[in-house]
Order: sequence, then structure tokens, then C-alpha cells
Amino acid sequence: MMETNAAVPNPVAAAPAVDGQGAAAPATTASHERIDQFRSEISRLEVKVPEDKGERTWLIAGVVLLVVGGIVIFGGYWGASGTAKVNEQLPYLLSGGLLGLGLMVAGAALFVRYSMSRFLRFWLIRDIYEQRAQADRIVESMSSVEDLLRAATRPRPKGD
Amino acid sequence: MSDYFIEGLDEPAELSGAPVLELSGVCAAYGRIEVLHGVDLAVGAGEVFALLGPNGAGKSTTLNVCAGLVPATAGAVRFAGRRLNGFAPDKLARLGVCLIPEGRGVFPNLTVAENLHMMTYAGVSRSDVEAKAYERFPRLRERRTQVAGTLSGGEQQMLSMARSLTTDPALLLLDELSMGLAPLIVEELYGVVKQIASEGISIVLVEQFARAVLGVADRAGIMLHGRVQKIGAPSELEEQLSAAYLGG
Repeated sequence: MMETNAAVPNPVAAAPAVDGQGAAAPATTASHERIDQFRSEISRLEVKVPEDKGERTWLIAGVVLLVVGGIVIFGGYWGASGTAKVNEQLPYLLSGGLLGLGLMVAGAALFVRYSMSRFLRFWLIRDIYEQRAQADRIVESMSSVEDLLRAATRPRPKGD
Repeated sequence: MSDYFIEGLDEPAELSGAPVLELSGVCAAYGRIEVLHGVDLAVGAGEVFALLGPNGAGKSTTLNVCAGLVPATAGAVRFAGRRLNGFAPDKLARLGVCLIPEGRGVFPNLTVAENLHMMTYAGVSRSDVEAKAYERFPRLRERRTQVAGTLSGGEQQMLSMARSLTTDPALLLLDELSMGLAPLIVEELYGVVKQIASEGISIVLVEQFARAVLGVADRAGIMLHGRVQKIGAPSELEEQLSAAYLGG
């Protein structure tokens, strides 16, 4: 049987392996100073990935701001509706209405920015994929045309 | 055409205790010809993993993908749990991923010492580089002023390994270490490989002629047609090697 390692949670464990053998690395109990250093350097790397935690955080922040903005506006309306005096309604209008509106605009901007970027990324990849597939089809057709032309222009052996 | 994938959209791996090197579903192509069709393997800390297979199976391409020289068109290449697809080879080398290519890659017109001096780019002094190399391979000290192109195949391989080891690698990728060498020299070099592994360095050995390497490896995999077909203990694979090579 292949060795398995509880200390090495291996995402490749599910990888296809023949004869019931996975691809997991074996147990490592010895101290590996260089490997530890390697691991720490790798973990400190700043790798730019399209969908990192920051992106999702901003998306959630946008939704939260939208909701908070709505609550603030409702609070402003609630406060203003409790009095008939315009001078008493003004603070509610300013702090509730404008602040709430500002929060909602900021939240909507964040939400659109980060949800659209994800959508556009998929769209871009899809577009590239389609273009390449199209280019492959064109090249394939041209190759077959080329083969046909070659066959047609090939000099026939004498006696035919 | 291979499937396109979007970097970073899959789940991040657990970093602590993750394999030093891990390939999952890795595909790679030269132009329009795909040569790796979903390679899966994992190498732990201080492990010697032998990747075996006949000519054209995709072993060297797998190593080149690991070293960042050939981009993976699909799948994930992870180092210590972090997906680093498309990472530049020089950055990987600086991190400690070291490839010794097939054909050794020594500078034939430079002397042994000058070849070693090429590795001082990482800020190590010439004397340190030489001391490290000669400590492991005393024979190179005797050949210090000899032009590398005139060394024997085994000595060139020693020089190549010595040069790589002076960079303090964490992961050593060895492509066809035994190619064109006498069995005694190969045995000597495998002894060095064992010693390196005992120091905690992870090693991936790619070999076409397999029997000898199985004595050194902790685990081995058989690669055929761009996929790792079998992974297991060397003793298990030894029985299946002939069948694998002959397509049985």
C-alpha cells in the first residue's frame, strides 16, 4: 500500500491514481529547516490572484454599505416624520438622508465594481476561448484546403 | 484544446504541512501539441520522488513546468500549498526550486571554479561557493582549473549538482541524472542524492532507466502518455515497470 500522511493534508489526495494509490506525499517527521524556511518564504509571497480575499471582502462591504445606507435613510425618515417642525426635520434630513444616500452610493459603487469585474473576467476568458477555437477551426479548414490543392497540383505519373 | 482555467478560482490549499511540491491536473503544451494531460503528484519534505517512464512520456516537461520554464495550461502547480502557476523561473529559483537539466548544463568553456563562481549571484562569496562544492565533491577540487568541457560525464554531473547545491535549494529537480554515465558513477551520484535528501531537501528524480533509481527513491511514479499512471513504493512499482514500458 502507498504511504499516507496525516500531517500532510493533501489536496491531491483525490487525484486519479491507479491501483488504489493516491498521490499524497508520505509522512515527514524529521526536522526540515530548509523546507520550513521555504514554506515561510512561500507564505510571505505576494501573489496576485484575480479572486483573492480582498475582492470578496470589498463585495461584501458594498452590500453592507447598501443595507446600512437604507437603514440610515429609514431612520432619518422615521425621525423626521415624528415632528412637523421643519427646523427639527433638517438634522434628520442631513444626517439620515444625505449620509444614508452617500453610504448607498458608495455601497452600490463597490458592489458594481467587484461583481462586474468578476463577470467581465469570465466574459473575457470566454471570449478568448471562443476566438482561439475559431482560429483553430480556420487553421484546420485552411490545412485541408491546402492538402486538397497539393493533391490536385501534384504531377501525375506518366502512363496514367 | 485544453480547458482554460482562471487563476485563483479554486480553493486555496492548507499551507502548513502542505506538500513541498504538488501538481494537480496539470496540463502543458508545446504550441498546439498538448504533452501533459493532467499530471497529479505530490512530494513531501525531504522526500525523494522518482518519476519514471519511457521516452516521450512527459517527464522532463513535468520538471520544466515545476521549474516555471513551461507554463501549465491547466491545473495547479503548488509549492508549500500555494498555487504559483505562471511564476517566473528566476523567482522560483530564488525561492529554492532548482532544476538540473538533462545534459547537465555546465559552461563547457569555463573552468570548474568559474562554473561555480556563476552561482555567486545570490550574494554568496566565491570562496564559500567553492568550499561548499568541494566539501561534497572532493574530486572537483582536483579539477578546479580544468575546463568543464573536458571533464568526464560523471564529473560534469557532479559539477552541475555542486553548482546547484551551493544555491541552498529546498526542492531539487534532477532530470536524467544517470544519462550516459557508467553504473559506478551513477551509484556514487545516487549516494549523494540520498545524502542531500537526508539533509531535508526534497528531490524529484526523472529517469528513463529505472531500476537503479528505485533504490534511492522513497516513492515513485510511472508516467505514460502525459499522465502519472501509477504511484507507489519503489518495491511495488519495480514489478510493474516492464509492463508499463511495454504497454502491458
